[in-house]
Amino acid sequence: MADKRITIRATRFDPEKDKSPRLQSYDIPFSDDSMVVLDALNYIKSHVDGSLSYRWSCRMGICGSCGMTVNGTPKLTCSAFLRDYWPRSVTVTPLNNFPIVRDLVVDMEDFMHKLKSIKPWIIRKQEIPLGAGEHRQTMDQIGEFRQFSQCINCMLCYAACPVYGLDNEFLGPAAIALARRYNLDSRDQGTKERLPMIAHPDGIWECSFVGECSVVCPKGVDPAKAIQQTKLDTTMRFVLPYGNRE
Amino acid sequence: MSAEAETATRTYRPPMGAGWWTRKGHYFWYMVREFTALPLALWLLWLLYEIQRAGRGPSGYYPPNSTAFVIFSAICLPFALYHSFTFLKLAGVILRVKLLDKPLASGVIVATMFGTWLVASVVVGAVLIGFGR
Ligand code: SF4
Ligand code: FES
Repeated sequence: MADKRITIRATRFDPEKDKSPRLQSYDIPFSDDSMVVLDALNYIKSHVDGSLSYRWSCRMGICGSCGMTVNGTPKLTCSAFLRDYWPRSVTVTPLNNFPIVRDLVVDMEDFMHKLKSIKPWIIRKQEIPLGAGEHRQTMDQIGEFRQFSQCINCMLCYAACPVYGLDNEFLGPAAIALARRYNLDSRDQGTKERLPMIAHPDGIWECSFVGECSVVCPKGVDPAKAIQQTKLDTTMRFVLPYGNRE
Repeated sequence: MSAEAETATRTYRPPMGAGWWTRKGHYFWYMVREFTALPLALWLLWLLYEIQRAGRGPSGYYPPNSTAFVIFSAICLPFALYHSFTFLKLAGVILRVKLLDKPLASGVIVATMFGTWLVASVVVGAVLIGFGR
């Protein structure tokens, strides 16, 4: 099987020379069934064209940096096996809905800003002193938010979301899921501080439940669920007389 | 040149074409789901008009005897069923109900929603037809 080959088509864009991106084809050996799309890109970079630019780090689906569009679907390229595409060619383009910086690299600035805006840390009205010991949680309390804490900030959900594609002001799936993760944490008291961002017209109410974010999420976070549940909770806070309690 | 303008010239933002919803089956069915609300809204408007006429007494209210309304209702029915079905199917995702401190399985929530839908439909249907007599 040593001479099995596969065609990889990758986006090339040099901001100094190109007006718009173009696709370049590479015919490379598909030597091993365990090869992933990221391996193919690494092969191209090492043996064919050292100028190809893309992000990656852990190669094991943890760091979230290798997200790209593979044959039209946002994927972690370190978890997308070539065997699932071969003998078809594989087209690798940058994540949709983000500005392209170079080749397969996108500008993450907007995403980073949105993540920070929902204050993704435990907020306490009054910190308890270190000597008083840890904040204890039961397994049930952890179970409340565990799913939403699995996010690796890979941005695949933003690339899959047409609402974000049409209006970049939308807070977006991962940021809202992360806000929910902290709001559901029994140690946290910051729901009111996050509300202005979440209940803002560019927050949860902009989502029309396409649901593709949850389909592409590699960590089973289900951001669509987080958003819809937040819509319901926020409405209850507004409607019920005791809804505004902490 | 400001830092912002410099960034703007250095990056390329691919345009999102009007045909984005044809790119994936999931997007397409989302659009179908959203559009099924349109005949539903029209039907409700018609019904509101009829209810307003009913204010002048039962003789002004005639939907069940109006061929146009019956035909339009028959056309709207599959759209309404599809919209309700997709909406209620998702209820298990959205609603978090706890019973004796344990979260209720989403299947149970969905089944309850469909059951309530059925009962509500029978009641509303009986009222509308009964009032029309
Ligand atoms: S919610 Fe899922 S798809 Fe979105 S950034 Fe987090 S891990 Fe990635
Ligand atoms: S390289 Fe880290 S998730 Fe793919």
